[in-house]
Amino acid sequence: MRPFTYTRAKDATSAIKLLAENPNAKFLAGGTNLLDLMKEDVERPNALIDISELGLTDIKTVTSGANKGGLSIGGLGKNTYAANHPLVRQNYPLLTQAILAGASGQLRNMATNGGNLLQRTRCPYFYEVSMPCNKRQSGSGCGAKEGINRMHAIFGWSEQCVAVYPSDMAVALAALDAVIKVRSTSGQERSIPIAEFHRLPGDQPEKDTNLLHGELITSIELPQNRFADKSYYLKVRDRASYAFALVSVAAALETQGNKIVQARIAMGGVAHKPWRALKAEQMLVGKDATDANFKLAADAEMADAKPLEHNKFKIELGNRSIVLALQMAMKVGKA
Amino acid sequence: MKDTNKTIGTPISRIDGIAKVTGKAAYSMDHPVKNPAYAILFKSTVAAGTIRDIDSAAAEKAPGVLGVITHKNVSKLNVKGGLRGGALLQSPEIEFYGQNIGIVVAETFEQARYASRLINVTYDKKEPKVDFNKVADQARLPKDKEKADAIRGDVQTALSQATHKVEEVYETPIEHHHPLEPHAAIAEWNGDNVTLYSSAQIVNGAQSAAAATLNLKPEQVRIVSPYIGGGFGSKGGQWANLALAAVAAKHVNRPVKLALTRQQMVNSVGMRQHNRQKVSLAATSDGKLTALAHETTTHCAINDEFVEPCGDCSKIMYDTPNSLITYRVVPMNLILPTYTRGPGKSTGSFALESAIDELAYKLKMDPIEFRIKNEPERDPSNGKPWSSRTTVQCLREGAKAFGWEKRKLEPRQNERGNYWIGYGVSAGTYPAHQRPTSALVKLKRNGEDVTATVELAAADLGTGTYTILTQTAADALGLPIQNVTVNLGDSNLPPAAGAVGSVGAASYANAVNDACEKITQELMTKSGKQYYVRPTAAQLMRSEKLIDYQTRVDSKPPESAEEYSAHSFNANFAEVAVNKSTGMIRVNRFLAVTGAGQILNPKTARSQIIGGNVWGIGMALTEESVVDPRWGNFVTRSFADYHVPSNLDIGTMEAIFIKEKDEHVNTLGVKGIGEVGIVGVAAAVVNAISNATGKRVRDLPITPDKVL
Repeated sequence: MRPFTYTRAKDATSAIKLLAENPNAKFLAGGTNLLDLMKEDVERPNALIDISELGLTDIKTVTSGANKGGLSIGGLGKNTYAANHPLVRQNYPLLTQAILAGASGQLRNMATNGGNLLQRTRCPYFYEVSMPCNKRQSGSGCGAKEGINRMHAIFGWSEQCVAVYPSDMAVALAALDAVIKVRSTSGQERSIPIAEFHRLPGDQPEKDTNLLHGELITSIELPQNRFADKSYYLKVRDRASYAFALVSVAAALETQGNKIVQARIAMGGVAHKPWRALKAEQMLVGKDATDANFKLAADAEMADAKPLEHNKFKIELGNRSIVLALQMAMKVGKA
Repeated sequence: MKDTNKTIGTPISRIDGIAKVTGKAAYSMDHPVKNPAYAILFKSTVAAGTIRDIDSAAAEKAPGVLGVITHKNVSKLNVKGGLRGGALLQSPEIEFYGQNIGIVVAETFEQARYASRLINVTYDKKEPKVDFNKVADQARLPKDKEKADAIRGDVQTALSQATHKVEEVYETPIEHHHPLEPHAAIAEWNGDNVTLYSSAQIVNGAQSAAAATLNLKPEQVRIVSPYIGGGFGSKGGQWANLALAAVAAKHVNRPVKLALTRQQMVNSVGMRQHNRQKVSLAATSDGKLTALAHETTTHCAINDEFVEPCGDCSKIMYDTPNSLITYRVVPMNLILPTYTRGPGKSTGSFALESAIDELAYKLKMDPIEFRIKNEPERDPSNGKPWSSRTTVQCLREGAKAFGWEKRKLEPRQNERGNYWIGYGVSAGTYPAHQRPTSALVKLKRNGEDVTATVELAAADLGTGTYTILTQTAADALGLPIQNVTVNLGDSNLPPAAGAVGSVGAASYANAVNDACEKITQELMTKSGKQYYVRPTAAQLMRSEKLIDYQTRVDSKPPESAEEYSAHSFNANFAEVAVNKSTGMIRVNRFLAVTGAGQILNPKTARSQIIGGNVWGIGMALTEESVVDPRWGNFVTRSFADYHVPSNLDIGTMEAIFIKEKDEHVNTLGVKGIGEVGIVGVAAAVVNAISNATGKRVRDLPITPDKVL
């Protein structure tokens, strides 16, 4: 890796200041993705600011503001802790399932919640510096679009980039309408709805998120909901553990009798951001929770998919996965 | 006085287990040397062409850098010295993506890696041949005479006259060995002699190839390789990195450590090639095979050839009057393929045993009965009698243990919730050979306490060589195992066969046994006494009051072994569950039944068999190295992309060994188990998926999208 300075920040204020002062600096939290990318020469920060001792790890009930009564999850808490916290398991089992579907036990023990949101794509052309990649090197081209693209996007891709965003956790957060709290040098906190946190690639695939340089993710807020007994995270992958999603679906339903009052569906492995299946959701609200209606909703969502050469299967798989996740949400419920 | 009970055949734990789990066992990079420098290879980023220039000025000035070696300043090496795959920096020509084009040596690994990224290489590019689908039709007859067309009878006529037949093409992708320990070497010069601490499946082979490549005599090179963190064939023949470590050490006049990164493994140390296998079978309506053709098309390197013997199982597994085995190969701009666990047999058995299963469905026969009906009495390829053959026993005992009678003859008849359940079976084989191996036995006595040291340049891949040789020596000398020390993996020790081709256990254990027999005989002679009950060597050391005694043997296989066709055999049973919605597949149960003669240690043997099974399941379901068809680079360069099965993918694994005594194969009756454990495994899984879903997939791996 390239030479860099290493500073262990003592508090959030000084960490943010250090980062803001240097456009080539990066925060280091769990390091499960950043350090790998540095070894491969993909990430080339000249300074690392270690934020692993800042605190910001608590999980607690939100006592004020828009999400009062919801849950606040510390940005620097570990994935394992978040997945297994009783308040998460009880009230947001979808999040527990999604986190536990990602990576391995060892990685989840290191990885932080904020860091998980900032994972970079696993596109192999992004990872190998001798390959063209607009995300890594603006203007160098996209190696995947005409190359090997079985794992790539079917929604929202651009000519510049067909990569997918790899997180499982964020797919559940998208379904749960999470809000990302970030702090900048001003000391003020800003709230970014999860739907606006990650970006589609467009003409700027190098930008994964709308987080500004100098901002620190302090917490993730989950609004209260009534999904806890009817939600399910389905992850379809090439092996049962430690593999990124071919397609994943976070599904959550609120029903009265058999009638769907509210539906939330988000997909992973299909786009440059967690893909909220709004069309499918709209199809379901007010309808009965039947297999036929689930299928209609899945058809509606997948109708817009635009596959690449090697990922045409994701349309059928996405369709089936939406149906299965909804069925499982009705059947299984809690984590 | 009885010194000990026999330990051969008992499941003792690994002798070296504690050293390994406590980090005391020294692998390649762990050996202490004074003041080492660190080297890293850098590699081509085109698959074909010529290097126009390498600008290393910035790298040479980078912190800690001690030297940069390229084709412009490298010493003259012998490219025909026996190292595989070329890439020795001897010319500016590029034959595959990721070919070694230089070395950076620095004070630390990180400094070397950083500097390697400051090097600017320009190329005169050529259009590479990297898309197998585009060039497969240019494939030609291999140069290797073993791969000449093998024809018995008239397959074409038999096929055209058959009422029941299968003619299908089966594809297996490129795979990589990816041992947990990447290839690494420490080179330490002492005058004109060099010691290479490395990881070698063939210690003496590594010595001679490194010496020849470096233009040295074999005795000027010492290979030290006491432990190997997995090899699977990639550390059999050695590769450029071994000699380049020595070149780098000479260049900086210091010991040098050179390790490959995981990402570099895909284009440094060989691979299993993509095989396109056409299998044609014909049978009478009552299930007697009348024809078997196995035609393989594959690829090799631009200037070197290696072809997996995919037709090997087809040559001997079934009795058929008409048989055809052929190979065709096309050179491509990819690294030289090489021996990979169960070379040819693992991939070839996938094709053959899938086709057998397909034909059994057409015949509406149980696939076990179909196989047994075509059991050959002698080796069909050469007419020799079997030293022993256990295929029928493996199938019958396995069927009973597995509950095969619960299998539905028709597919898609067994469902459990949202899953299709299916059962699959296959049979397999791997040759059993003993190779010449020498061994030294040294005895010492201190009072009543006799200890033995056994030495040979054998390799322990992590499979238990230390353990089985300790058992062999202890039994043969009449000592408890704690009084036996085994030293391996050093070319200064008596020469030994490699741990390759499943010859390790048979070659090493027989050599050690012969050495122990010899020392006992010598001690009896030395005593000048007549014995009615043969004493042990330990007893003789005590009765003759000897302090030290040693002897060496050069052991060879029995001449009579040539008169027989000697193989290990197996049968594999798989139960899979296929998710009806998502296509995700889980192997619920896997059973391997193996007939491999005398099993020296059932515990290490079981581990070795289920290890092979897991790899076979990986072949069926997950493993694939993907080449970009435009540029020739592998896009699967880490364990995040190159999937081996995880614990969650597989449920229960069971290994059963057939009790058999092979009187002909060698003195101890030992056959190999290193590779037979992977043979047929993929087919058993694929056949189970077909039984579950009714879908026959003929290109591996079977990822969820292929069964949707």
